[in-house]
Parts: sequence; structure tokens; C-alpha cells
Amino acid sequence: MKNLNIINLTKGETFLHQLSGTTKVRLFATLMLYVMMSFDLPIILPLFIFSIIGIISLKPSWKVIKPLVIFVVAINILNVVLYWLANPLCGLEYTGDQTILFAYTDYLVVTKGTLWFLTIRLLKMLTAFSTSLAFIMSITPSELAAGLTSLGFPYKLGSIVEIAFRYIPDISRDYENIAVSMQCRGLELDAKKTKPIERLKQMILILIPLIVTSFDRVGNISNAMDLRGFGKGKKRSYYSEYPERKNDKIFKLIYCLITIFCAYYIISGIITPRDPKMWLYWR
Amino acid sequence: MSKSPIVEFKDFTFRYSTQREPTLKNINLTIYEGEKVLILGPSGCGKSTLANCINGLIPFSYPGEIQGSCKIAGNETSNSSIFNLSAVVGTVLQDSDAQFVGLSVGGDIAYALENDNMPREEMLPRVLNSATLVGMHEFLEHVPYNLSGGQKQRVSLAGIMHDHVKILLFDEPLAALDPQMGNQAIDLIDQIQKNNNCTVIIIEHRLEDVLYRPVDRIILLEDGQIVADMTPNELLCSNIIVEKGIREPLYLQALKMAGCNVTIEDNPCNVFNMNLEKYKDQLISYYSSVDTSKPEEDKEVVLEVKNVDFSYDKFKALDDVSFTINKADKIAIVGKNGAGKSTAAKLICGILRPDKGEVLIDGVNYLNYSIKEIGQRIGYVMQNPNQMLVKDIIKDEVSLGLVLNNKSEAEIEKNIEAALKKCDLWPMRNWPVSVVSYGQRKRVTIASILAMNPEIIILDEPTAGQDYRVYTEIMSFLESLNRDFGITILFITHDMHLAIEYTDRAIVFADGQCIGDDSVFRILSDNDIIEQANLKQTSLYSLATRIGLEPEKFIESFIVAERRKRHEKS
Repeated sequence: MKNLNIINLTKGETFLHQLSGTTKVRLFATLMLYVMMSFDLPIILPLFIFSIIGIISLKPSWKVIKPLVIFVVAINILNVVLYWLANPLCGLEYTGDQTILFAYTDYLVVTKGTLWFLTIRLLKMLTAFSTSLAFIMSITPSELAAGLTSLGFPYKLGSIVEIAFRYIPDISRDYENIAVSMQCRGLELDAKKTKPIERLKQMILILIPLIVTSFDRVGNISNAMDLRGFGKGKKRSYYSEYPERKNDKIFKLIYCLITIFCAYYIISGIITPRDPKMWLYWR
Repeated sequence: MSKSPIVEFKDFTFRYSTQREPTLKNINLTIYEGEKVLILGPSGCGKSTLANCINGLIPFSYPGEIQGSCKIAGNETSNSSIFNLSAVVGTVLQDSDAQFVGLSVGGDIAYALENDNMPREEMLPRVLNSATLVGMHEFLEHVPYNLSGGQKQRVSLAGIMHDHVKILLFDEPLAALDPQMGNQAIDLIDQIQKNNNCTVIIIEHRLEDVLYRPVDRIILLEDGQIVADMTPNELLCSNIIVEKGIREPLYLQALKMAGCNVTIEDNPCNVFNMNLEKYKDQLISYYSSVDTSKPEEDKEVVLEVKNVDFSYDKFKALDDVSFTINKADKIAIVGKNGAGKSTAAKLICGILRPDKGEVLIDGVNYLNYSIKEIGQRIGYVMQNPNQMLVKDIIKDEVSLGLVLNNKSEAEIEKNIEAALKKCDLWPMRNWPVSVVSYGQRKRVTIASILAMNPEIIILDEPTAGQDYRVYTEIMSFLESLNRDFGITILFITHDMHLAIEYTDRAIVFADGQCIGDDSVFRILSDNDIIEQANLKQTSLYSLATRIGLEPEKFIESFIVAERRKRHEKS
């Protein structure tokens, strides 16, 4: 059990895996800012392409990420459809275009502007998702803890994340054991044979002992941490955090440049408000 | 050479803020540098509390009221801090799973260094060094989930050895280990003490297993007070251990049963070095005279496992396993972790079904039955009762299985009354589960299985982590269930004492195969099986070889004589 689904517990071999936690967290933070700040296609599209390349370079197990990808894409498409249903002319404000392409009723129309707006919106969401996915797949919980600390978050926050990931498999093993013993006592876990409300009640029967035993464990873990000096100093170092290497330096330059660009883009947008139509490169 | 004291308790009394009575009373104890001390005592005697006073969890994590003084390396603990103390005292906790807070072996060993904010370059050689000391240097990248209990414990030990701590404190180091790993752990503790010249304090109730390597002094606690502070030889020759509910080493039990009066000069603390010459004839004559013949009984087969294979994904967990279980058998299922014991138990309960081969219950292939139906004939009791108890009131807990199986009101009442009476819980039926002791909770879980009237009960490590008193309580209760009600009992266990005292047959698993199925005394005299299954030879075996008796015959005679004596008593 080296990995929990998409989350690695130990450092992988590929280029992105090998970057330090600090680099990954900082890069991710800037990229999130970058994707959020605009609806500009020339800004979003390159990141989308790079993040897909990033995911591929991590050599993921497609079997594991496929359900997640399908789920997220489906939810986002649904979101866009609902957005359109709520206001079929939602693109007007942003594009000023209302060329009607299809009209189902007087209300439900598809305009060129709306279609364009919603397409960009979908792309923006998917870019945020693919960047996050690449980030999650490339980082280990310990590196995340180290990276968060480097951004100035208190290290106790990172440790909570780390400890949570450490004990998820233990708790799921406890769950399995409890479920086994309850099944022997006649608990029906087969979804086809029980009503949803019954199932909910039966889940509680498994959860009670799970919570009790997990609380027992929490006390032991906190003792173990105390005895090894957790919380001793203001700062903490990380065994799994590699020192900065050549690639980290390159990426440092990249995320610094991106941050400067974002700052310029946002500030200039505030000083001279951009014509909301400026991103319409399609014309 | 006069040694300087490193742990000094003077008129020390401690009361947890949540309790009325003090847990430790008037402790006067001095432990000197370089000593190896065993703190012995039944559960609840205060030995873990004493350990927590040494490592600083008391008073810094568990608040309470202290009277008197406790000095560690010359400093009063209440004026120190848990961080200062942890630089002097390294603690290996009982639950090595909970102590493993890192996400990899290396990360866990480095944990204390990380908290010191040590730069990574400095950390690496020190982690490697500590890992090498405990023999885990090839596993630095491993995640905790694939490690055995013994390996996790080694990692815990490595994680506290950075600062050349002066005191190594082990809280029940043997609790989660199989017999062979237990020996290795005791061996490792011994080596590390010799190489690093540190003070070692071991908290345990398994006296014989700790004495596998020499100990300087034993402190016996009872009800928060020190009742004995003597050398192992002195302690073993007094009657005090038996009185205080500590299990006597098997070989001494064997000697005493034969009427030998062991003295300190015989060096009784180790079966290999003990002076046995003068007891040899007495032993031989006593054990040769034990009548081991048994009346032939007709056995009725209740469960048959035939050529069963089972795999999880690609891992083959059971490979062509066959055995039969007869009515009213008492069987020990033994073998190291991951050998297939639990898989076999789950398979018998019908939670898992065989890939190949078949399981017959009373001659009928059990694929015809649902898990629910099998559950009414074969009951499964988990190791930790807290993982089974879901209701607040004892009676509701016991009736749960029947309610889930939609039995009639009248039948439920009848069955739970019978089950509670069998378990001596009837007067307590309306009590909340949370107020009863561990042993009683275990009984509640057994009663809740008994209420379904199963023919077979499978118990996973029924006595794990329990002291001898609770152990005897649980086991004699199970024995009476078997004797008086003819219930077949399967024990999944590491405990060879349990197998010797309470079972007739052992089924041994190694690497998914059933490598032995025979009477306990034959299994325990077979070196091949012992090695493959991570068992260890009992001290009876060593005793027999030393006096020149056939081990198989000797162990058999001992078992028969011991049971006869126990039944006379009860």
C-alpha cells in the first residue's frame, strides 16, 4: 500500500514529483491566482495545456483518476447548463453579442455570446481542476506540510494534514473489521436488500465502535508526539523536504514571473478598468 | 564502583485530577545509571502511571496532584518540561501503530529532529545511524502499512535514540508481537543497553518473556504501591508472584509441580543456565508417572475445509488449505501475522468465500447459506471488545444479533437470558456497557455471540494485552462453555501458553498454507514448524532437553498434569 488512490505517501520518480514541497505549493498558489484573475482565453488556454502535460508526465494510474475526472467534468457541464437555463442571455453582459444561433422557445435561446462565455467558463473551471489534480498527484502530505509552512502558515496546520493522511488507512482497516463482525451478527450491508433508511441506521452501528476506537488512538498519538518534542520551537524542519535543486530554481523564476504578471494584470485592471469585451479574440 | 542514581522517587504520591484516590502511593524507588529494571504488575497496578511520571507525560499531559519528589537525572520533574525530559528519557509506547506518526520509516525516525528544527543535511546521517542500530536501514523509504509490529517497534526505538538518551523506557514492548519477534525485541533491547550503556526500564507483565535476557532488578507493583524490589532470582523463589497475579514461568511451574523446591543458588531466572542437576531425577520420575492415555472418543465432524484457495487481487492468502473441526474441539490457530489465520477465520464465517475448494458445515456446502445464516451457526468474537460494542445497555447489546435476524420477541428474551446466565452477566443485564471492566466487556461480546446459539465460536486473540488475572478469568470461562455446553471453540492466537493450557489441537499457518495440524505438544516439539510459523520453543522444551527427556512426551505429561491440577482446584 504505497499510495492512497491519487495521493502519494512517498515521493515519486517523475520530474514534477522530484520538485521540493515548497516549490510545488508556491507554484500551485500562483497558478490558482493566475487562472482566477481573468476570463482571457490567451491566458487560460496555455495553462490548461501545460497542466494536462503535467498530469501525463506524472504517469498516473488512469484507472484510479478516471472516475474522478468523469465526475468533475460532468459536474462542471451540469453547472454550465444550469447557468444557461437560469439566464440564457448571460453572455450578453460580457460579450455584448446576442446573435441567436438556436431558439427553442422565446426564453430558451442560444446566442453566440452566451455560448462563447460559457465555453470559456467551462475551460476555466477545468483548468483549475486539472492544475489541482496535477498538484495533488505530485505532492506527498509531508511535502504539503513543509510547503504550507514555507508560505507562512503555522506548522501545526501542516501537521494536522500529515497526521490525517497517516491514519486514514488505519481507520479504514478498523472500519472493515467492524463491518465484518457486524455482518456475522446479521447486519445486512447489501444495498439491494435494504431500504436507504435502514442502511443509514446500520451504518451508525458500525460508526459508533469506529469512533470509540479512534478516540482511544488519538490520545496515544498525541502522547507520542509530545514525547518527541512536537510543538517545542517556533519553527520545524522537514525530513522529506529536499533542499532546493536546479529545477526548483528554474521554477522559482517561473512562479516569480507569473506573480509579477498577475500583479501587473490585476493592478492595471483596477487603475484603468478593462473593457469587458477585450478578451473577445474570436472576432 | 558506586553508581549515581538517575531516577529517584521519594515518598511520591500521585493522583489524577479526574480520580479521587491516588494511583501511586508513597513510592520510594531509586534506579541507578546503567541498570536494567523490570517493572512488573497486573493491569491497573499503576505501572503505566509510574512510567508516565518518568517520561514527563505526568504532570505535563495528564494533570494531577503530586506529593513528594521525583528526580530524573538530578532534576525535579515538576520543575522541568516534557521537552527537557524527552532529551533524557526515550519512551517506546505500547501501541507502536499510534507511535508511528511519520509517513515513512525515515520520516518517523526523523520526527524528533524535525521538531528541533534541525537542517535536513544534518538529519540524514543521524537518521541512517539510528536506523542502522535497530537494523531498519534498508527500509527508510517504506510506508508504515506494510511493516510488521516488530519492525514498527524498531522504528519507534530508533526515533528516540538520537540524543544519546540516558534512559530507555519501554511500555509493554511485547504486547503486539508474536513469540519470535518478542524474543528478538528483548534481544535488541539487551544489545542496545550494552552498546550504549544506558539505563533500561521495561514495563511488562510477561515475566518469562522478559527474562529471556538478564535483568538486574524487578520492581513489583500492586495497587499503586511497591510490594517487592528484588533480583529476579529472589523474586522467582518467593511465592509473591503467584500471589500477586503474575504468571510464573512455565519451567518453574513444571519444577514446582514435580515438588522441587527451587532456591536462589540454582539461578532460576533462566532455564538455560539454571542448575538442574539435583532436580533431574525428581522431574523424570514425576513426569514419567503421569498417565497420559486418553479414552478414545467418537468425534462428530461439524466443519470441514477442503482444498481451499483464496486470493486478494494477486496475493494468494490461502493455498490448498484443508482441515476438519469436530464437535466440542478446542483448537488454537497459530502462525505469524499475514500467514493466513485471519483470512481462514473470515472464510469460515462466510465473509470471504473460497476461490477454489469447499467448506462444509455439517456436511453441507456452505455456499448454500448466506452470511447471516452462517453467522447463526458460527460466531466471531473480535480481539478488541470496543470494536464490537454498539449499544449502551448490556442487554441490548446481547440481543442485537437476534433483533437483526428478525427473531420473535419471545425467542429473543429466552436466548438472551440463557446467554447472559452462561456468562454470569444476568444480574448486570441493565448496566451500561461503559461502566464494566475490560474482562466483563469481553464477556458481553461473547454473550452477544452466544445468544445466537452458535455451534462454533472463533475468538481472535481473546486475551491480548491482558494480565494474568483477567487472562485466567476469560480462559476458564471459555473452558467452562466448552465443557458444559459442548461449544466448539477456535482461538486465533500468538500465545503459546494459552495453546498449551487451554487447547487440544493446533492448526499452524505459514505463508497461506496449513503446515501443521496436530496436538499442541507435538506441534511445540517440531522445530521446523516452530521456525516457519514464527513461534518459539517453550521453556518446557528446553527443560526437557536439558534433563534428557523426550520433549514431546514431557510437554504432553506436563499438560495432562497441569490440567488435572487445575480441575482439582476448581
